[in-house]
Amino acid sequence: MWSDIKRQKYAHMFVLTGMLIVFIFQYLPMFGILMAFKQYSITSGIKGIFTSQWVGLKYFVEFFNAYNFEQMVKNTIGISLLKLVFTFPVPILLAIMLNEVRSRFFKRFVQTVSYFPHFISWIVVSGLLVIFFSTNSGIVNDALLSLGIIDEPIALLSDPDYFWGLAVGSAMWKEAGWWTIIFLAAISGLDPSQYEAAEIDGAGRMKRIWHITLPGIRGTIVVVLILAVGSLLGGGLVGSNFEQSYLLGNVMNNEKSEILQTYAFKMGLAQGRYAFATAIDLLQSLIAIVLVFGSNYISKKTTKSGLF
Amino acid sequence: MHRRTNEDRIFDFINILVLSLIAIVTTYPFYYMVVISFNNGLDSTLGGIYFWPRSFTLDNYTEFLNDPKWMQSFFVSIARTIVGAFITIWFTCLAAYGLAYKNLKFQKLYYSFFIIGMYTAGGLIPYYVVLRGLGLLNTFWVYVIPGAINIFFLIVAVSFFKEIPAEMEESAKMDGASDLKIYYKLILPVSKPLLAAMGLFVGVGQWNSWLDSAYFVNNNSLRTLTYRMMEIINQGMSPLDAESAERAAAVTGVTTFSMQITAMVIAVLPILCVYPFLQKYFVKGIMLGSVKG
Repeated sequence: MWSDIKRQKYAHMFVLTGMLIVFIFQYLPMFGILMAFKQYSITSGIKGIFTSQWVGLKYFVEFFNAYNFEQMVKNTIGISLLKLVFTFPVPILLAIMLNEVRSRFFKRFVQTVSYFPHFISWIVVSGLLVIFFSTNSGIVNDALLSLGIIDEPIALLSDPDYFWGLAVGSAMWKEAGWWTIIFLAAISGLDPSQYEAAEIDGAGRMKRIWHITLPGIRGTIVVVLILAVGSLLGGGLVGSNFEQSYLLGNVMNNEKSEILQTYAFKMGLAQGRYAFATAIDLLQSLIAIVLVFGSNYISKKTTKSGLF
Repeated sequence: MHRRTNEDRIFDFINILVLSLIAIVTTYPFYYMVVISFNNGLDSTLGGIYFWPRSFTLDNYTEFLNDPKWMQSFFVSIARTIVGAFITIWFTCLAAYGLAYKNLKFQKLYYSFFIIGMYTAGGLIPYYVVLRGLGLLNTFWVYVIPGAINIFFLIVAVSFFKEIPAEMEESAKMDGASDLKIYYKLILPVSKPLLAAMGLFVGVGQWNSWLDSAYFVNNNSLRTLTYRMMEIINQGMSPLDAESAERAAAVTGVTTFSMQITAMVIAVLPILCVYPFLQKYFVKGIMLGSVKG
């Protein structure tokens, strides 16, 4: 055995180096969860995670009693669910539509263009939103005004009533094209002879989509749905609830834009309440784990396919 | 055989119409941003510009190039993109090569360590405490070292390396090549698609990143380009800044707003440049990942 290891010494060295890095940056912070139950002070460093005093569920209780607790939970869940409902079907639809295009050039063009925003930072996307939706000569308000649809500019960026829609819409704009890649690939793996047979039998376009394309990619749809539900609180398939709420949230729309993540951030790094923020983070991770395993379990029961 | 029915015609018409609309809605904001970046900043605030600059100027760009704050953050972003992509590719591929080694002892054990690592997280604060303990806060290295192993790409790379025909390595071994030599002279050169996909994803991630700049750094000379834009979007300016910006705008026509848009164009430009060349790789990359992960 030792001779094996000696012969493979480089391989072991490489792997162990990688494991060390992963241990430090992935595993070590895990122990930090203890902070949620402790009287932790940043001056005690990493060691303090283990040595500081236990306080039990104090921070959780405090969090449940926070004055805006209910509204924050509502926002977190509301935005996430809306995103799931509106953005999950869109990539599937887009993939089906692209698949029906005959011109290869046009198909490629639309694909290329629709993936692009995925690679752009939320910072730039937020900047674009500010430019387009500004009440002062923003293009959207300009257009609506000159078409006579509205009489005065709508404050899309500061009116709380619009925040959820803004979050869902901009996430869709940014990421929907990206997720069509997977569905397009699944569609291209389907057997063309099925389509030919259906066509001979007189099935029209819609019928073929309904009876061949959709059932054919059911497995892919299930897997992507589980991924989406599992990452629901983080923003699902369409990226970061945190970045959106942090960048587009402001004093005016705070009641609809404050979510658990932004609150944890403000309490933690901004105000130095490390243990309290860790408790909020931990609650969130627990919900996420329940969501992943729960959706996987349900999907296995009902469709016999799942992630694990 | 393919006789176009009425349903076909209506379907195609609506389909192409909707897809064209999507293409326009996706591209126009970027186009508009470029137009405004070439327009006089004060003039832009009047609105009504849609397709080309009304008062063409390069002032926004010269102002950007002459502003040490913007330029410094621009170079920090470039540096972290290059160094970060290099470090991640280097360490991830080495570890993956080790993991893909034939009959490696403890292979299963090692592998599960990484997989579990992918799903573990302690949250922001514990992570911050670890970075602080390591002395990484307020250094350039906080941008590039924590991500040195990208577990997602590690898994992709292991399966990629395993598919390289074993005969290649065996014949090299017969010629007396060492493991290291095989890795550098044989494995890496045939893994270009993998390296390109990794380089693109990691590089774009580095280029776009601002959270770490906001959380872990408070040294102004280490701020990234995206962080500077965030400042404008999110925090507004202090009255003093606003006053001096106003005075400057009266002279040059460059406003904070037009500078921000110019910075946005500059932030998108590098991605736009590499995008067409790497597109075939990232489609392959996400497919590989979605199958394995």
